Amino acid sequence: MSTLSQYGAEQGSGVPPRQTRWQVQQRRDLLCGLMPALAVLAVVTLAPAVYLVVTSFTPLNLTLPATAWNFSDPVGNYLSLLRDRRFGNSVWVQFKLSFFTVVLQLLIGLAVAMLLNARTRFVEAVRTTFLIPMVLPPIVVAIIWKVLYTPDISPVHWFLKAIGHPMGAMITSPDYALWSIIIADVWEWFPFTMLMLLAALQMLPDEPLEAARIDGATYWQVFWFVILPLLRPAILVAGLFRLIDSIKAFPLIYILTDGGPGTVTEVTNYYAFVQAFNFSYLGFSSAITVVMVGATFFLSWLVVRMVGTEVEVE
Amino acid sequence: MRKRNLTKSADDRSVSRRKFLGLTAAAGVGAVAAGVEAAGPVGKGSALFAQAPARAGAARQFAGITINGAMFQHSFSAILKEYVPEFEQKTGMKVNLELQAFPVYNQRADLELSTKGSGYDFLNVTFIYSGRWIGAGWFANLEEFIKDPKLTPPEWDAADFAGGPMVPFKDAKGDRHGFPWLGEVQAMTVAQPDLIEKAGMKLPETYDELMKVLAATNDKEGVKAYVTHKTHHWMWVHFLHGFGGNVFKDPPGNLTPTLDSPAAIQAAEFYANILRNYCPEGVLSYTDDQMVAAQAQGRANISMHTLSWTMPVADPKKSKVADKVAYVMPPAGPKGLFPGVGSHGLGIPIGSRKKEAAWEFIRWALSKETIWRMVKERDYTSPCRPSVLNHPDFKKGMTFNGRDLAVLSLKIFEMAEKGGYMKYRTVPVFPQVGDKINKAIEVVATKQMPAEAAMKQAQAEAIADLKKAGIKIDA
Repeated sequence: MSTLSQYGAEQGSGVPPRQTRWQVQQRRDLLCGLMPALAVLAVVTLAPAVYLVVTSFTPLNLTLPATAWNFSDPVGNYLSLLRDRRFGNSVWVQFKLSFFTVVLQLLIGLAVAMLLNARTRFVEAVRTTFLIPMVLPPIVVAIIWKVLYTPDISPVHWFLKAIGHPMGAMITSPDYALWSIIIADVWEWFPFTMLMLLAALQMLPDEPLEAARIDGATYWQVFWFVILPLLRPAILVAGLFRLIDSIKAFPLIYILTDGGPGTVTEVTNYYAFVQAFNFSYLGFSSAITVVMVGATFFLSWLVVRMVGTEVEVE
Repeated sequence: MRKRNLTKSADDRSVSRRKFLGLTAAAGVGAVAAGVEAAGPVGKGSALFAQAPARAGAARQFAGITINGAMFQHSFSAILKEYVPEFEQKTGMKVNLELQAFPVYNQRADLELSTKGSGYDFLNVTFIYSGRWIGAGWFANLEEFIKDPKLTPPEWDAADFAGGPMVPFKDAKGDRHGFPWLGEVQAMTVAQPDLIEKAGMKLPETYDELMKVLAATNDKEGVKAYVTHKTHHWMWVHFLHGFGGNVFKDPPGNLTPTLDSPAAIQAAEFYANILRNYCPEGVLSYTDDQMVAAQAQGRANISMHTLSWTMPVADPKKSKVADKVAYVMPPAGPKGLFPGVGSHGLGIPIGSRKKEAAWEFIRWALSKETIWRMVKERDYTSPCRPSVLNHPDFKKGMTFNGRDLAVLSLKIFEMAEKGGYMKYRTVPVFPQVGDKINKAIEVVATKQMPAEAAMKQAQAEAIADLKKAGIKIDA
């Protein structure tokens, strides 16, 4: 009774209720239960991330052990990045790759989703086949495209040659090498955007569509003024996922072009890989990676904000 | 025509397979009587085999010990792995030998060595990493093992390794940190010399002649005149040397890059011209295998890669041009002839806790007997021991369409040793500079930049990278 009266008095006075001993105990037990999981999480994810940031402040070079904990020039790697032409180029290549792959995957994914938005057995079977590129291991995808892009063994090149229109090797052309990566990446990942948008399409309410049709809207008007606005949150989420994933592009570039010809297809994470594993400059590579992590967080935050706004508007 | 089976080509005086195996087995159990004659590259045998029982006894001192090692996938390492059980039986040791793909091996070994851990007791010393690994002190100095007669009997003959292939395994003082199992030389492989003859020309001996031959024979009978692969820092540097340039100012002492020298610019333009005009479509993405396949399938004629890579062009099972392929000395540039030499070896990581046992294994793996056995039984074509290279049986087996490749190899090994021009390749920072060369050549070949601008950019980037590694650069 005394506790209840105390609770009532505190409620009345606007003072937060004091926790009972049972509640304190419950909270403590919960914390104890969570601690092992939190400790594992810290060791597995946070510790390497912290080590990455710490390493980025050193000139760590695997061949020079003394560089491991040398903090004499903590911003040296970051200043080098600002002066590094190849890093700047890699960011620009990354921007182009991300922009074109995300836009094309959204466009193609949306178009295919519209076509497959029907509930028939045939369409469902076709829908499944469209998912194949997405579930293949990335290295397999890269090898498939390596074959297609290599004139000596490519059926595409053989066919074009047979009909009198021989084509040069795309992956060694400075004009087309990046496009060869974009095409392969779009092929691999448009099923993902298709899947998300198809799910969103099937969740759309019928009323606005029927109302628009009754009002005499054409197919394109229905699509443009009704379907597309309703799909915007799903498009933004799909775009965000693909944008973040595009920054991790690696196997296609490693197998198809090695970042070349020259540095035409050298994206930022590939450049970080070269610095770390070909040259042993782990400190410099860590600085590149920290910048990439920061950029990815910023992009994610930006898009989540946009999506959040959209959802609120909706 | 090549004699495919070295064993069959041996004359009566040489070591037959059965006799050789018998001797090896006998040495293992200590049952060989002193005075057994063993002709062939192992020498007159008496000294070696007279001591065999004692050595076999000494080898048993490591019985029960397990050693771990790793190499990259290669015909040598595959054969070695097959032979390992015999070594285990002989010594009572257990040997875990891991084989990995070349790039995977190098990256793993690089990380493992950098920790100075004891995970591996012997490792492959990869050619282009040798400077970095040995320079950083990651491989044990083998001199103390070599000089100790208890660990290394004189008949093992540490001097019987060709000088050129030994270079990457020596430190600045000349101490040895590894011994080569592969010695490869860069030769000119002409898959279809008849096309050149039909054009009324001879095999090119100078750069001028090479360009004339390429211009005259390109696309004749659907064959591209030249083929190469994407590792330009290997395929281009002999041209750089030929024009009088170098990768560094004076390696290994002065590692100031010299990629923007007039000779380097000239060599880049020269090589890019070949890539643009005389090679198959897409050559910039070619791997070694694609290059060799283009020659073996009759789609491309001339290449300048190592013999160990281009040998399949002479294999009737794999090649349409096996009956006519010619392996010859590469052409000389205005400043001379500088064919490349490469080698891979075995060494002991500094962190190993079983160094003596590891040395016992390396000694066995690279002994005259094991190498000669690989040559006889498995057609191994790239040994580094002159006693094998000079042996008549080996020379017979290495004669292709009338050309003796053993002689060619020895000559190039000698040129590289005397000329010292391969020192650029085994310095610790070569991977960084090699990357700049690859990029620059691609940029010039695809006309993204003229040669001068591309090489100046490569030079600037190389300097920036080397400064990161603490290398002193000349002003």
